[in-house]
Amino acid sequence: MDILLSELKTGIIETLRLEDISPDQIDDDAPLFGTGLGLDSIDALELVVMLEQYYGIVIKDIEESRPAFKSVRALAAFVQAKRTS
Amino acid sequence: MDKIVITAASRVTEASVPKARLGARFGRMDLASQLALLAVESLGIDFDGRPRDRIGICLGAWAGSLSADLEFWGGRDAAGGPSPILFTYTLPSAAIGEIAIRHRLTGANLCLVGKDTVLAEASDLLRRAEVEACLCVWCNVVTPALAEMIQAPPSAHASALFLQRGGEGLRELQENDRDIETLCAAFCAQNSTS
Repeated sequence: MDILLSELKTGIIETLRLEDISPDQIDDDAPLFGTGLGLDSIDALELVVMLEQYYGIVIKDIEESRPAFKSVRALAAFVQAKRTS
Repeated sequence: MDKIVITAASRVTEASVPKARLGARFGRMDLASQLALLAVESLGIDFDGRPRDRIGICLGAWAGSLSADLEFWGGRDAAGGPSPILFTYTLPSAAIGEIAIRHRLTGANLCLVGKDTVLAEASDLLRRAEVEACLCVWCNVVTPALAEMIQAPPSAHASALFLQRGGEGLRELQENDRDIETLCAAFCAQNSTS
């Protein structure tokens, strides 16, 4: 799980081209949107694309997957669950 | 009517982009928006104390958003499709939004694609008193991929001027001032030698 968390943080920074932020500065449980990392709706779409590119996970209904985008830890749990299903 | 005064001028190239520190979101912008934002930042204008709803933005882009359009198109076969963030920059006016957001400017704005008529349009806004001051930005971004497609030389630079009604500045805008790039290059050359 730790490796996946670290991989996702690096992926988020690279995909969203976030500047002046390193993976260790992203809290596992901090909200990705609004407060925390302060991402927006366009970033959410970019993360959906990232999941497909990195992990082959296709999200058809973003509303259904909304809880997965709560934090990096939630996203890691979602990826892990999809991998084992 | 008041004279129109040029109060600041700047010119930036792609080489300035990696060194720029304009917030965490700067990296996600397309090159045209980054250059336009940097050119405005290089003017050194303090917008505090000025009515932000009376400051206009006139953006001219010779190639519009064609470079971003082409990059977006290039991603169409990638897993998950092309980048949604890049999609937001497939509008030639995207840089106006980035400038307006960063400096909280809510005045009139205008985006012109093709021939450089930025100064004429900005002068018109000022003469009609629609704005008290105006950021004029000229952005010329032709990536190597686009250059090959449209048979034009590659280019990545932006120039900016700040015009205002009345007051003091570098000099008064003249009737025959038509080309923002030439004006900015001249002011910047003067600064580097003085």
